[in-house]
Amino acid sequence: MRAHRWFVLVTIAFVALLRAGEALANPAIDDSALRTRQTKLDNGLMVLMLEDHTTPVVAFQIWVRVGSSDEARVTGLAHLFEHMMFKGSKNIPPEKHSQIIQSRGGRTNAYTTVDVTVYTTEVPSGVLPLVIALEAERLANLDISEETLASEREVVLEERRLRTEDQPGGRAREALYALTFQALPYRWPVIGWRSDIESTTIEDCRNFFSTFYVPNNIVIAIVGDFDGDAALEQIRESFSDLAPAAEIPRTRTREPRQSGVRRAQVHFDVRAPVLATAWHTPPAGHPDAEALDVVGEILSGGRSSRVYRRLIHEEQIALSAHSVNSEFAGAGIFGAYASVRPDASIDRVEASFLEEIARLRDEPVTAAELDKAKRKIEVSMIHQLTTNAALAARIGYDVTILGKIRPLEDRLAAIQAVDADDVRRVARTYLTDAGRNVVHVVPPPASTEPQRGGS
Amino acid sequence: MSELARLAGFAALASLIACAGSVDTPIWQRPPPPIADSPVVTPGSLHRFTLDNGLSLIILEDHRLPRVSLGISLRRGAASVEPDRAGLAGFTAELMKRGAGDRDSLELASAIDALGSVLSVRANWDSITAQIWGLTRDLDSMLGILADVVLRPRFDDDEAIRARGELLAALERAIDDPHYLERRFASVALYSGLRAGLPLSGSPETVAALDSAAARDFHARMFVPNNAILFASGDLDAGELLDRVGAAFGAWLAGEIPDAGPPLPAPVPTARRILIVDRPDLTQTRITLAHEGIARTDPNRVAASLLNEAIGGSGFSSRLMQRVRAEAGLTYGVSSRFSLRRDGGTFVVATFTRVAEVRRVIDLLLAELARARREPPAGSELEEMRALEVGQFALGIETSDAVLDSLVNLNIYGLPEDSLDTYRSRIRAVTDADVERLALRLLHPDRAAIVLVGPAEALTPQLNDLGPIEVVHP
Repeated sequence: MRAHRWFVLVTIAFVALLRAGEALANPAIDDSALRTRQTKLDNGLMVLMLEDHTTPVVAFQIWVRVGSSDEARVTGLAHLFEHMMFKGSKNIPPEKHSQIIQSRGGRTNAYTTVDVTVYTTEVPSGVLPLVIALEAERLANLDISEETLASEREVVLEERRLRTEDQPGGRAREALYALTFQALPYRWPVIGWRSDIESTTIEDCRNFFSTFYVPNNIVIAIVGDFDGDAALEQIRESFSDLAPAAEIPRTRTREPRQSGVRRAQVHFDVRAPVLATAWHTPPAGHPDAEALDVVGEILSGGRSSRVYRRLIHEEQIALSAHSVNSEFAGAGIFGAYASVRPDASIDRVEASFLEEIARLRDEPVTAAELDKAKRKIEVSMIHQLTTNAALAARIGYDVTILGKIRPLEDRLAAIQAVDADDVRRVARTYLTDAGRNVVHVVPPPASTEPQRGGS
Repeated sequence: MSELARLAGFAALASLIACAGSVDTPIWQRPPPPIADSPVVTPGSLHRFTLDNGLSLIILEDHRLPRVSLGISLRRGAASVEPDRAGLAGFTAELMKRGAGDRDSLELASAIDALGSVLSVRANWDSITAQIWGLTRDLDSMLGILADVVLRPRFDDDEAIRARGELLAALERAIDDPHYLERRFASVALYSGLRAGLPLSGSPETVAALDSAAARDFHARMFVPNNAILFASGDLDAGELLDRVGAAFGAWLAGEIPDAGPPLPAPVPTARRILIVDRPDLTQTRITLAHEGIARTDPNRVAASLLNEAIGGSGFSSRLMQRVRAEAGLTYGVSSRFSLRRDGGTFVVATFTRVAEVRRVIDLLLAELARARREPPAGSELEEMRALEVGQFALGIETSDAVLDSLVNLNIYGLPEDSLDTYRSRIRAVTDADVERLALRLLHPDRAAIVLVGPAEALTPQLNDLGPIEVVHP
């Protein structure tokens, strides 16, 4: 599961969902997403349908174009509200939505990112009409109460303790985003600040619902074994009464250019300190995205990558090291993360990692490294096409964030086109010394002296 | 109009009215449509062979995407290792990734990365699996790498020293992770002194003693073809693959099958014990209840899985999820599971809550387990669980890789080849009486070990009347 329901991330980094690869010498891959039927209802609701009758299951996803970056005044509201969507409507008691789907052999969940809130359901074929009816019911008749909000607030606070407050990685991520984004609403965590979660009111929830949960802000994606005509007819019947909003408020803020290194320290009881570093990169859909993906792979993709070789294998100062470009609708972030060995110095890990970044600016990468990175991206992309849910996520994301389904072929071509000059250019453009943000999660000074752990 | 036609017309009208009536009933109140038991695999796509040296082959063709997954599993794992060598299986698996055949560590990694492939070698309690994923066009190279890794690992001394250092550092880092501590000390509470009482990856003391010679010996002892399964799925031709596998693995010599290790003891614990793993900095306490469970091969495992789903499982509609999360808002998640091992198993309920509410949550967990014995899931509740399990099964076999994983797992435990085909009917055949009997046999809240990870100072006063408390400092 993801953010909402059960053990998955309220991840800030929704990351470059399924991007990747190029075909190299590969035979043409059938990009079934291009057969998606796209229908826009009169009220603006977008319906994406892709029939694939290979296995008797179907994935149904609702993509609402609202995330934590749309929050004004109350942080964490998009995510808390996502929880409230399971807390009952006029005809369905609290928690019953999930239970009905499970009792039909399906599973349902939801997650929230900085840009979107997604409700995911997978069911055996034949259960789809029920899923459509249940989704229409909660969108039309959501009925939340002070009582359910009070208990769900506590659930979300437990989620926050679980993922952020008691986790070194969660502490690092929260601090890194707050440091990197000084103006954009990506600076606060998707799950929100504790004080906001504690004080969210029922009015906050209702206003949020009526502002953002409108049909012209929603995309439905259905992939799998179902009858498209019947599904579309049912969706028309049950969703057409929803009234569109004249205007959906969006943030107008732009992030000012960063002009100097920013550093932050988080004290936490860790044996293995955490290094988290970030640079600003362009938002989703920018032509430099592929070159930045290649940079990430060259640095940390596989055990022959530069950072793995150096930090983990040769210098033996880190337990893991990872770099990846994450794209959001309004900005991007290139992150470099490392778990520092308890017997090593975090400053040395940072220095070594930064030297590898600097090398990308100073020297061209080799042809072999370039090919390897492209191939890894291609293969991971193909692996991600194996389930209905992954396909639904791809088309849902594309249409919600990019406004159209991006053909696999285009992605492949864009990756294939990246050359050594591009790699050096994007490293020089984005991964600059003056644009760096650095977080260290380290033990508090008082507890560094006595013996820790082990024994 | 003839009498017959009038009757037919009347019947049609009647059925129209009946339909109209059902349209007024919300769809969620109508009986669910039957879930068709579609075949687990496409007819003709699954192939099984056995080589002369005893190596089993399971191949599942799926030509939808130009990709393949290829691997070898052993029907023995970390449970075959003596307690004082705990971690040896995982250490050996790690070293197999660090140099094989003509390639040293870097050369092997470069060869794998150049294909865009991923190689995994991992040890579980009852199996060890080496697996590689990649594109169809690279099948020959992938097979060559897999054969090197499985048959010709180098176990270079310098890599062994590096790997050992990393494993030791990882064990120390693991103390930062409350989830790791919870699992680790649940094992301690149940199986102290046995191999199963130590983490899969070993303890600092046992790992410190591992070296390349130990890994080489372990590999030679464990990797025999007559105890191994080669599996492959994806865009490949079974006949062609059989020829290539014969060439790559045909000369692998059969050998003695190693011992599977001692069975897990039961009952454990025999009386309630409380273990607090002191992490003074945590704001949330991890709570685990644990006692013995059942074995992977137990004929009651299907009924046990229904019982488990009803109590906790992993979904939203379980009794515990309703009680502890939905009604009380005391947690974000609560789950239960039977960890099934070759010879025995463990039952675990796990959740977490803010420090102040720990006792309340423990009481709720114990009360629900006691109620499950008194009022076991039956009737419509059990019917929902059957539908859930059958449906989850359909979702679980969406990809060929997942189906193949299940088929290999069945083979590892010597379970019938047709277990997936019969699974749904076995689920449907479970009766209320079966579940009632199992609830009494398998749930023991009165003597379950209670393991907490959190600040001992704040937790101890909440638990004084519950049982003997031990505090450990990780």
